[in-house]
Amino acid sequence: MTHRWGMTVDLDRCTGCEACVTACRTENNIRIAGPEQAAKGRSIAWIRVERYYEGDFPDVRVKFRPVMCQQCDAAPCEPVCPTYASHHNEEGLNAQVYNRCIGTRYCANACPYNVRFFNFGNPVWERPLELQLNPDVSVREVGVVEKCTFCVQRITAGKDQAKAEKRELKDGEIKPACVQSCPTSALVFGDLNDPESEVSRLSRSSRGTKLLEDLGTQPKVTYLQKQY
Amino acid sequence: MKALYALYSDPDAAQHAVEELRRQGVSDQLITVITSQPYEEYEFSHRYKQTWIFWIAAAGGVVGLLIGLTLAYMTATLWPIVTGGMPIVAWWPNIIIMFELTMLGAIIATVVSLLVTTELPATRSRVYDPEVSQGKIMVAVEEPSDVDVPRLERTLRATGIQEVKRVV
Amino acid sequence: MDLRTEQKINADLLRPLRHTSMSFYSLVAILGTIILVGFGSWMYQMWNGLAVAGIRWPIFWAFYITNFVFWIGISHAGTLISAILRLVNATWRRPVTRCAEVITVFALMIGALFPIIHLGRPWLFFYLIPYPSERQIWPNLRSPLAWDFFAISTYLTGSTLFLFLPTIPDFALLRDQMTGWRRRIYGVLALGWQGTTKQWHRLEAAMQIMAIAIVPVAVSVHTIVSFDFSMSPVPMWHSTVFGPYFVAGAIFSGIAALIVAMAILRKVLHLEEYLHPVHFQNLGKLLLLMSLLWGYFTFVERLTTWYGNAPAEMAVFWATQTGSYAPLFWTMVFCNFVIPFPILAIKKLRTITGCVIASSTIIAGMWLERFLIVVPSLATKHLPYTWSHYRPQPVEIMITIATFAAMVLLYTLFSKVVPIISIWELKVGGDAPTHLTSEEEEEKRALWRVRP
Repeated sequence: MTHRWGMTVDLDRCTGCEACVTACRTENNIRIAGPEQAAKGRSIAWIRVERYYEGDFPDVRVKFRPVMCQQCDAAPCEPVCPTYASHHNEEGLNAQVYNRCIGTRYCANACPYNVRFFNFGNPVWERPLELQLNPDVSVREVGVVEKCTFCVQRITAGKDQAKAEKRELKDGEIKPACVQSCPTSALVFGDLNDPESEVSRLSRSSRGTKLLEDLGTQPKVTYLQKQY
Repeated sequence: MKALYALYSDPDAAQHAVEELRRQGVSDQLITVITSQPYEEYEFSHRYKQTWIFWIAAAGGVVGLLIGLTLAYMTATLWPIVTGGMPIVAWWPNIIIMFELTMLGAIIATVVSLLVTTELPATRSRVYDPEVSQGKIMVAVEEPSDVDVPRLERTLRATGIQEVKRVV
Repeated sequence: MDLRTEQKINADLLRPLRHTSMSFYSLVAILGTIILVGFGSWMYQMWNGLAVAGIRWPIFWAFYITNFVFWIGISHAGTLISAILRLVNATWRRPVTRCAEVITVFALMIGALFPIIHLGRPWLFFYLIPYPSERQIWPNLRSPLAWDFFAISTYLTGSTLFLFLPTIPDFALLRDQMTGWRRRIYGVLALGWQGTTKQWHRLEAAMQIMAIAIVPVAVSVHTIVSFDFSMSPVPMWHSTVFGPYFVAGAIFSGIAALIVAMAILRKVLHLEEYLHPVHFQNLGKLLLLMSLLWGYFTFVERLTTWYGNAPAEMAVFWATQTGSYAPLFWTMVFCNFVIPFPILAIKKLRTITGCVIASSTIIAGMWLERFLIVVPSLATKHLPYTWSHYRPQPVEIMITIATFAAMVLLYTLFSKVVPIISIWELKVGGDAPTHLTSEEEEEKRALWRVRP
C-alpha cells in the first residue's frame, strides 16, 4: 500500500520554543545567511514559528503557529514550474528537484504559505561548522529554490530499513527532524493512508483545521486549534 | 538575347507601351514591367494577381497546429509527472501552445511561399536597371528572338523613347 | 507622382544613411557606455548571486519582471499601427509603419532578455527550450513561463519577418544608390529584388496574411504574460481581468513610445515634410482612446476588489490606495490619465509637443503600473507574518537604465542603416512631401547641420 505522508500540529501544545526550527536547519544543511542578509530578508527557515500577539498588556495572548511546507495535493507551486523541478511524488509529497531548478521563483510566489525559499548566494559555513553537515542531504547552490521535504531522507531511510528487515513500517518509526525534536510532541508525523496511525486519528479531530483551506490547495498538515 | 527594354517616366506611357507591344503580337508572358512601387490602378499591373498564398498559409497553420498537438501530448506522456493535481495532458494550457504554433506555422509558410514564388533570393541574374529606383518604369520583353528585335525596337521607339536598351 | 518628387523622397529619406554627424557618434558613445555599465552590473549579479539585488523573501519578483512586462508591452506598438491600420486600409499609417515595427522588434528583444537576467541560475535558461535533451525531460507545458517562451518566440519571429519583408524593396533601392561594400551588403539583403508585377503582388499578399496573423499573436503574447500573474493564487494577481487589462496597457504604452520615437526622429532627421502633425493627432486620438480604456480597466478591477472585500485582497488594495505604495499609485493615475486626458482630448492641445508630453508621462506611468502590479501583491500575501517591503538596489536600477539606453541605441543604429520611413509605401500612398510653413522652414534651416 502506498504511503501518504501527513502531519498534525497541536497548537495547544506548541510553546514557540523553535526547537523544530533549529533541528530542521541542522538536519537539512540550511545555509546561514548572517545578520546583514537576514535583515534583508534572505534567511531560510524551512519551518518557522509564526508569532501573533492579541490584545494589550496585561491581557496579551500570544499564538504560535509552526508553518512548514503543507505538501498540498493541489499545490499551486507545482504547475507553474517550467522545468518540473517542483512536482508531486507518488507518496503525496511535493518534491523539489534542485538539479532542475533554474531559479525562476514562480513557485515561491505562487505558494500562499510562503514556505519556499530562494538561495540568494552560495552557502558558506565557517569552520568548523562544515563538519556538522548531514551527508544524506544535498547542499544547494546559489539560485535554486528549496523548502521543507518532510525530511524525505529520513522517510527513505525508514522505508529501506523496514524493507531490509522484511517488515512493515511501524507508525511513528519515521520522524522528521522537527517532529523528533519537539519537546511537547506538538508535531505528529505519519501515514494518512493508515487509518489507525496517530496522524490520521488526530487529523479527524474536531479541533482540526487546515491553513488557508478556502484557497483549495488541499494541504496535508492539520492544525489542531488552541482551546482557551 | 536576354531582354530588350525601355524606361518610362510615368505609368501612362508605360501602359501605352505595353499595349503597343501586345499589338505587335508579344505574348503577355514575355512582357515584364518593373517598377519601384506597385501601381495597382494600372492594367499592366493586373497580371499575377491570383495567388495560392492564402491557402498555403492556412495549410501552414494546420501543420503548426498538428505539431503543437503532438508536442503537447507527447512531451507530457513521455514522462508523466503530476503537478498540482492537474491531469497529465492538460488541455487548457495545451490550447495555448497549439495556438502559438498554429500562428507560427502560418507565418513561416507565408514567408517561405513568398520567397519561392518570387524566386528570391535570386540565383541567376535578372533583367534590371538601377534607374528604376529613381522612379522610372521599365517595360521589357524577355527572350525576344533575333528576328523580332528590330521590329520591337521600332515599336518601343515609337512610344517616344529615345533609347531602347538591350541585355545580352 | 512625378519623377522629381520621387527623387526628392529618395534623397530626403536616404540622407540619414549617407551623412553622419558628430552628434551621432557622441550619442552612440554615451549610450554604449551606459549599456556597458549595465552589462557589467549583470555580470556582477551573476557572479555574486541575486543577493546583490533587492529581491527578498517573499518579494521574489520586482524590477526585472516589471521591466520584462514593460518592454513586452512597448512592443505592441508596431502591431497595432502596422497590422491593424493596414487591414483597415488607413493610408495615414504609411510613413509610420517602419518606425513602429522597429520598436516592436527591439522592445521584444530587450524584453525577452529579462527572463534570463532574473533567473537564479541564468546559465541554465535553455532548460526552457523544448528540444529532446540528454536530460530526457521536456519543459512543463502547464507552466505560464513555458507559454511565455512559445508566445515570445512566435511574436519575435513574426514581427522580425513583418519588419523585414516590406524592407526588401527599400534594400533594393539602397543597393542601387549606394556604392562599394555597402552596395554588396544591401544587395544581399535585397535578395535580388527587381520589382516585377508578380513580386509586388506576392509581397502585398504576404503582408496581408502577416498582418492578419500577427494581430492575434500580439494579443496572445501579452495575455500570456499576464497569465504569469493571474495563474497563481496571490491576492490581486488572481484576477480574470488581467488578460485584457495587460493587452490594453501594452497597446497604450506602445503607442506612447511610438509617438515619442516619431517626434524625436522628426526633429533629429529633419523629417518635418513626411511626419505631419496629422499623424501625431491621429495617434494622439488612439492614445486618448487607450487612456480611457486603461482607466476603465483599472476602475473595474479596483471596484470589484473593493466591493468583494476579501481580507487578503483588501490588504493589497489598501497598501496601494493609502498605504506605503500610495504615492506611486496616485502618481501612476496622474501620469496615465489625469495629465494625458485633457492634452489629448482638447484639439488645440493635441499638437506634436502636447502628444509628446502626454506620451512621456504615460511611459513613466505605465512602468509604475507594472511595478505596482508585481510588488505590492507579493509584499502583502495571505499570511500577515510574511509581509515586508522592497527596496531596489543599484544593480537593478543600473540594468533598467541600461535597457532604455539599449533601446535608444538600437533604434539609432537602425535608422542609420535602414531608412526609417518606408520609401516605397510612402510613394504608393501618393504622399508627396508637403511644403513647410515659413516658421518650419526657418526652424529647419537653423537646425541644419549636415553638409550636403
